[in-house]
Amino acid sequence: MARVFVTGLGVVSSLGFGRDEYWRNVVAGHSGFSTIAGFDATALERTVAGEVRGFVARDFMTAAEARRMGRCSAFALAAARMAVEESGLRAEQVRGERTTVVIGTTMGEADVVGELEDAWVRGGADAVLARKLPLCGSTLLPIHVARAFGARGMVQTLPAACAAGNYAIGFGADLIRMGRADVVLCGASELLQKIQFAGFVRLGAVAPERCQPFDKNRRGLIVGEGAGILVLESEAHAVRRNANVLAEVGGCGLACDAHHITRPHPEGTGSLLAMREAIARSGVTADEIDFVNAHGTGTVANDRIESLVIGEVFGGRRVPVSSMKGMLGHCMGAASALEAVACVLTVQTGIYPPTVAYETPDPECDVNLVANNAQRGPAEIVLNNSLAFGGYDAVMAFAKPGRLPDPSARYREFQASGAE
Amino acid sequence: MTPFAITGVGLVNPLGVGYPEFVSELSAWANAPRDLFAGHDSLLDPAKVDAPMAAECLSFDAKQYLGDKGLRNHDRLTKLLLVCGKLTLEDAGLKEAGTHRLSPERIGVCSATAYGSLEAVTEAVQITELEDPRFLNPNRFPNTVMNSSAAYVSIWEDLRAPNVTVVDGNCGSLDAVLSAETHLLNERADVFLVGGGEALSEALYVAFRKLNVLADHARTFAPGHAHSQGMRLGEGAAYLSIEKAAFARSRGARVRAEIIGYGNAFDAPESEARLVHVSSDALTRAIDMALRDADLSADQIDVVASGLCGVADFDRRELAGINAVSQRELAVAAPKVIYGETFGAGGVLASACALAWFDGVPVAPLVQGQVDGPIRHVLVTAVGYYGNASALILRRVSGLTERI
Repeated sequence: MARVFVTGLGVVSSLGFGRDEYWRNVVAGHSGFSTIAGFDATALERTVAGEVRGFVARDFMTAAEARRMGRCSAFALAAARMAVEESGLRAEQVRGERTTVVIGTTMGEADVVGELEDAWVRGGADAVLARKLPLCGSTLLPIHVARAFGARGMVQTLPAACAAGNYAIGFGADLIRMGRADVVLCGASELLQKIQFAGFVRLGAVAPERCQPFDKNRRGLIVGEGAGILVLESEAHAVRRNANVLAEVGGCGLACDAHHITRPHPEGTGSLLAMREAIARSGVTADEIDFVNAHGTGTVANDRIESLVIGEVFGGRRVPVSSMKGMLGHCMGAASALEAVACVLTVQTGIYPPTVAYETPDPECDVNLVANNAQRGPAEIVLNNSLAFGGYDAVMAFAKPGRLPDPSARYREFQASGAE
Repeated sequence: MTPFAITGVGLVNPLGVGYPEFVSELSAWANAPRDLFAGHDSLLDPAKVDAPMAAECLSFDAKQYLGDKGLRNHDRLTKLLLVCGKLTLEDAGLKEAGTHRLSPERIGVCSATAYGSLEAVTEAVQITELEDPRFLNPNRFPNTVMNSSAAYVSIWEDLRAPNVTVVDGNCGSLDAVLSAETHLLNERADVFLVGGGEALSEALYVAFRKLNVLADHARTFAPGHAHSQGMRLGEGAAYLSIEKAAFARSRGARVRAEIIGYGNAFDAPESEARLVHVSSDALTRAIDMALRDADLSADQIDVVASGLCGVADFDRRELAGINAVSQRELAVAAPKVIYGETFGAGGVLASACALAWFDGVPVAPLVQGQVDGPIRHVLVTAVGYYGNASALILRRVSGLTERI
């Protein structure tokens, strides 16, 4: 069973393009929020989002590529190009049957689907542009990426809502460990779209202007968009080409609340299972975790339950916790991918991103929050929480290369422990 | 791959609801083919779709299986999957009279769909664009999210191991097997419900009619044949419960068949400008991978449960991909002749046909080759519209399979 390393990172976000600009803004605690320009949201009385501004698909792809994809795929491909460039993989090292692409999302090419549906409900079948129909499948997200690099292994879209990034990264790492791939381009992409935005407003989940994770007066989330892509490689592949390894992928914990489509389980049973499993599958104990990049949406229910779960997992130990959604917004499918990029950068730099807009402590959110300003601290092993719509709970661990026990040994230990 | 036991099956298909009815109707169809696409009133709104020809699950009524409560806000796809989930758990002996026979923490779901709930998306677009976005129903909005239907299966049945939704177009429900395999081998569950569903909707029908690929009315529908002038749409859903063979034995489960090989591949079109691309090469590689996985030669395949759909160019390429793996002419069946194209559910419904063939149902309709003697190995194929392809190999379990 191979170790899995992260060797490249790509980002499209409201806080910038590329890992350097993104990380600078994250560490500085900048906000990616602005008044929505993509559609008119005034009727909804919520007009702020973490919208990606200034993204020009042609800056990252050929005219032919830009023509055949929607904005969601374009985000994914742009981020993938940045990630592969950072990894130093040459074209012939990505091309071929041993490279797989797994992309997560919530709504996929929702802009294309929305445009087609809009034309149909307004003008009937005659108004629908047939040439646009093939562009709408969410299947296309990894396919556009695979085509761009000549990858010929598996392509898979995992629509796992707000946990999609972690699902894709966890599955990609599993494929490498099982010997089904050497290189996996994985992560997630999401775009801001009117129907999705209206839906979250109608669910009562959207805050008026700012998102305040774990704050007593938090009023909900701010919707965001973007993409985060990671290059994963087997240890052998990375060593053979003398790659610059950024981090090791640790355990992945997955569970389902099986409780409610939008509300978390009141005792956080699925989240608890997923966090404990990610730790156990990493071959470490909770005491060895240095930092938790929380799901922290800024909704009353999520932050309260997640705090409860973090308390259960770590007992009396006050592990530093932070949520980036006060800066980026909730980028839905892309959220945990963008946060995974940040986790890798935390492992590299020892910097914990801040939870901005934190003003009033909430006794029901009793966590050791990295409030308002980034902090430095140990970052040998970090966790990335995503607790999503549908009760999807996915938690990933990232670690300094070589810090975790050998994967085969930790798998045996996990089996022997009978861990959930 | 490590063989996985198929211990249960539950499905909803235009032929019937539940595996016994499916087997009975499939057998009847093999003896006397009948047209499921015409001669019935469509459930689709005639104001939006003029005279559709589609195989619909006309007799399907979720309330018969799930009761009256809790279904009001669910869309058709979710109802199809909820019933499949319930039937599969019962068929596998995992749930009896509503009681779990296995810890719910150890049962997961891997579910595929190609288009999700277009019914829900259309409704949301109508309200947001033609009325007022503030009127969007918060109880129905979740149906627009791609993973909601699968998530509801776990919620309804209280299944707490991972729930995974796969979107890989026509390959989805075969690719869901890989997800399940990964999670089973990693001990994330003991049993997975694997499969998927696709619901007919006005939007889906209009889209494919606009693409000019439907064989409705005067057009010839003959999957696997060069003179075919298009596909016909169907709907349906199915789950298989799969588990490690040793685990199935340990809990005394009846094993219907085994999954012994899986493969997938992707191949881009040569032209930069092209998007739609059905790839023979990808399918050949996927089958080769599945054969290696199963440690079989192509000659040991008794019949192929293909994805042949009726679009002549796609079918020619799929057949070429299949024929490239063997010197002899493999027997190839085209189940979509019976119940139409069901996209993400196509692979698992073809797998259900394979189980029925193991149980003695005559293989029909064959578009190539002949089936000689008992069927031991079935190859299930699926080709996507964008260059992806998947293959799965099922093995009969002699002496353990109970006849229906």
